Amino acid sequence: MATIELRQVEKKFGELHAVKPMDLTVYDGEFVVLLGPSGCGKTTTLRMIAGLETVTGGQILLNGRDVTWEHPSRRDIAFVFQLFALYPHMSVWQNIAFPLQAQGVSRHEVRQRVAEVARLLEIEHLFRQRPRGLSMGDQQRVALARALVRRPAAFLMDEPLGALDADMRERMRGEIKRLHIDQHATTVYVTHDQVEAMAMGDRVVVMSEAVVQQVGTPAEVYYDPANLFVARFIGSPGMNLVPCRYLGGAVEVPGAGRVALSPVWDAALQRALGPACDVILGFRPEAARVAPEGPLFATVYASDMEGGYAMLHLSLGGEGGPVVHVRASRENRYPIGTPLRIDLDPEMVRFFDPRTERAIRREVGR
Amino acid sequence: MEKSQRRQRAPIVEAIRVDKISGGTRLVQAIRIVLAVVYAALSLIPVLWIGMTAFKSRPDATAVPPKVFFKPTLEGFVSLLTDRAILLEARRQELLQHLDELPWYQRLMVQQGMEVTGPSQYVGRLKNSMIIAGVSTVAAVVLGLLAAYAFSRFPVPGKGDLLFFILSTRMLPPVVVTIPIFLMYRRLGLHDTHIGLILLYTVFNLSFSVWLMKGFLDEIPREYEEAALVDGYTRLQAFFKVVLPNSLSGLAATTVFCLIFAWNEYAFALMLTTDKARTAPPSITTMLGRGGIEWASIAAGSLGFLIPVVLVTFALRKYLLRGVTFGAIRQ
Amino acid sequence: MALWSATQSVGSDRSARTGIRRRQLSDRAIQWLFIAPTLILLVAMNIFPLFYSLFLSFTNYSAISAAAPVWVGLGNYQHILSDKQLWTYFATTGRYAVAAVGLETLLGFGLAMLLREKFRASGFITTLILVPMMLSPVVVGLFWKLIFNPQSGIFNYLLGFAAGQGPDWLKDPKLALWAVVIVDVWMWAPFVMLLCLSGLNAIPEYLYEAAVIDRASPWFQFWRITLPQVAPLLLIAVLFRTIEAFKAFDLVMGLTGGGPGDATELIAVNLYRIAFPPQFQTGLGSALAYIILVLIVAISNLYIRSLSRIRGEV
Repeated sequence: MATIELRQVEKKFGELHAVKPMDLTVYDGEFVVLLGPSGCGKTTTLRMIAGLETVTGGQILLNGRDVTWEHPSRRDIAFVFQLFALYPHMSVWQNIAFPLQAQGVSRHEVRQRVAEVARLLEIEHLFRQRPRGLSMGDQQRVALARALVRRPAAFLMDEPLGALDADMRERMRGEIKRLHIDQHATTVYVTHDQVEAMAMGDRVVVMSEAVVQQVGTPAEVYYDPANLFVARFIGSPGMNLVPCRYLGGAVEVPGAGRVALSPVWDAALQRALGPACDVILGFRPEAARVAPEGPLFATVYASDMEGGYAMLHLSLGGEGGPVVHVRASRENRYPIGTPLRIDLDPEMVRFFDPRTERAIRREVGR
Repeated sequence: MEKSQRRQRAPIVEAIRVDKISGGTRLVQAIRIVLAVVYAALSLIPVLWIGMTAFKSRPDATAVPPKVFFKPTLEGFVSLLTDRAILLEARRQELLQHLDELPWYQRLMVQQGMEVTGPSQYVGRLKNSMIIAGVSTVAAVVLGLLAAYAFSRFPVPGKGDLLFFILSTRMLPPVVVTIPIFLMYRRLGLHDTHIGLILLYTVFNLSFSVWLMKGFLDEIPREYEEAALVDGYTRLQAFFKVVLPNSLSGLAATTVFCLIFAWNEYAFALMLTTDKARTAPPSITTMLGRGGIEWASIAAGSLGFLIPVVLVTFALRKYLLRGVTFGAIRQ
Repeated sequence: MALWSATQSVGSDRSARTGIRRRQLSDRAIQWLFIAPTLILLVAMNIFPLFYSLFLSFTNYSAISAAAPVWVGLGNYQHILSDKQLWTYFATTGRYAVAAVGLETLLGFGLAMLLREKFRASGFITTLILVPMMLSPVVVGLFWKLIFNPQSGIFNYLLGFAAGQGPDWLKDPKLALWAVVIVDVWMWAPFVMLLCLSGLNAIPEYLYEAAVIDRASPWFQFWRITLPQVAPLLLIAVLFRTIEAFKAFDLVMGLTGGGPGDATELIAVNLYRIAFPPQFQTGLGSALAYIILVLIVAISNLYIRSLSRIRGEV
């Protein structure tokens, strides 16, 4: 397998900066997800790794070898396209065999390897069919088979599940992950669906507007977002972000109350902001709970049922205040307008500097 | 990017668009362009040659070896479009005296020893061409539009078969149909009449027109008419108010294709007319001048005949694929 | 079938506003009204003549004689099928079809491959190349007569022959058919090009990207992706041009009139000569016309079937 390294890789289309200089290392056998909204540069980055786009600056290394200017056919990678890219006039068997035939592999070996891969993906029964007649899920499996049969150094996947319906997507997610583990295959995977990214990735690279926002494990990106964008983008719904004022020892949410700070946070905010300043408080819905003795006052704006929980939309500080999402148990009914108080888990609150939009670190050097 | 990096690029195939992979190197693309331009130029040489010949004088037109540079003149056009009488010496002197008062074409001919006596037969034939092509085109397009609309919007019983039947009429070799039609026309007194040819051209253009217009109409979403119907318009009103305006470009394309067919048509005109209703194409082939083949005149006639079509090809280029495959292949 | 139906369900809004009840043509009425003229005309001018022609083919009718048609059964057909002369005309037509269609397919496909990547003036160049296709075949034949002229024509001149030294294309029986082929290819290669271009442009780019990543060489890509994708359209072009070759009339009449001798006497030209001046053997001509028709119908069938297969895939 292989390691992939990007050093200051950037891409410009004329004046348009599609990807600003970025560094990334994908370790051998790792499953890295490039995540972000449309237009953030993730697909372009993937295509540059594949060689389907030329690079405006920087270097791409595959197993230590500089492949920046190498033709895609010489990079030993496999690419799974969003639209499958199956050759419509060839049967499934011929589609899978194509890459091997292109390299002049012996007929005997071709047969062997195609059979092997088809067994792995359970598509042997489709050999004679044309791609057109297959379900989306089956087409996706054929596309995966075609990539697998080559035994490449790395797999690059461009939103492969985008064309599938929700049900099929979940199933294929599991299958792809299983394949990845079986094959110990270095994989770079692009998606705009953060649920997918969090479920599949060993590490997630969050991108927005051509810039890498954060690189980390799903847990890191969820619990310790590096900036406001990541905080909002990850999680459904995203993190609650409330502007408030730091007052030495506590933060005041205008109109809603004061939240006491742990000494660690106090020191951190003091360090980062100065004695009294504006700050943004962040907490996830599950980090807050309805508590009659809680520090913050709010009224109910709306409520949804989500599976086993209720998701309350609360206006902090009464009507007209910023709306936050708080998870609650289903038993309690909260009609619109109900006043209540909430409490925050001190371990799970986060703070962001409103000027830089970056997260404030709890400990020095983190 | 520094020079050293550029040199390292040698192994890669440099794309044409900044990021495209297939298409070959810049050099290959340049070769393609050159070859294409060369072919286009070569393929147009015959047309250009005819264009030049049309403006040559008689000796120039038949010069050996062929002349590329010559003094242009409108002789060919004049002898094509006029009848002339040979001047007797007395008359010639008479005209030479009043040379300045004569119109330019007379002056040209007098110098050749001839006098223009009136428009030639060819002018009449051209008029026939225009009338017949024009009327039959309008008829074919209108009827075709109506039929295409019906096929497109309504569940006509046997639609597939009917459409196939309509298309297949286009497959018939004209000669098969001509023989009986020739007899029919003779019996009905339609032989050598404008109506006769107009009727025939209309029918032949109809099959084409229905298929083409159906293709265009199929692409206009039904929702437009349905909205109109819900708003209280009748089907007919919806047709005029909604469908028609949206189909104008399709109508234009169909009209022009039909015009070109009717304009260029030779076989039927040859077999079903002799004189009164004869169109230009059969006439051009029989234009033998007073002493051998009048190449300049033939060239002039050909040119005059081809120019409208060339201009229209240009205007139509977007629709050409649809037209030549009867709209069966969607682009 | 009710022709007129009072407006009730549809249009009630508007009539409610204006307070007028409108009578309108029912959909079915419109449907038939719109189609009827077309169908009637087509039947009258195509179906009827077809049957009349069939009838005539079994007679010895001559259009110029006053005598009524006399039934001769299959006599005409026998005459035709046993006529050596006519078989040579069929052979000539066949040779012409193979040469012309073969060359214009190769040339047209080549041109399409040249023009598939858009460059700055590609639309313009494409249109220029398409011009010959739109011209009247008989007029084309006529001016190529001038061009082929061994003395004053530019064809030989451009090929490098000195005046009068080059071959006389239209008078040499061995070359005349080739002259017709050349003009035909000149006119119709653009047609094949147009079809192939549309096919080539329809191939999605990502197929090539996938192939490149799969390490397919350009030749491999051409053979396994490009060619198979374009093949259906190429087939249509070939069939269409083959059908036209058997109907070819205008061009030959303009260029050679069937000569020299009968070197370029294509079957449709001969048919004209039999059924019209000078022979006016209407019955015989009808029989020949029917034989040609059967041939064309067979090929047309293939054409229609490939057309619908393509439509089904699009």
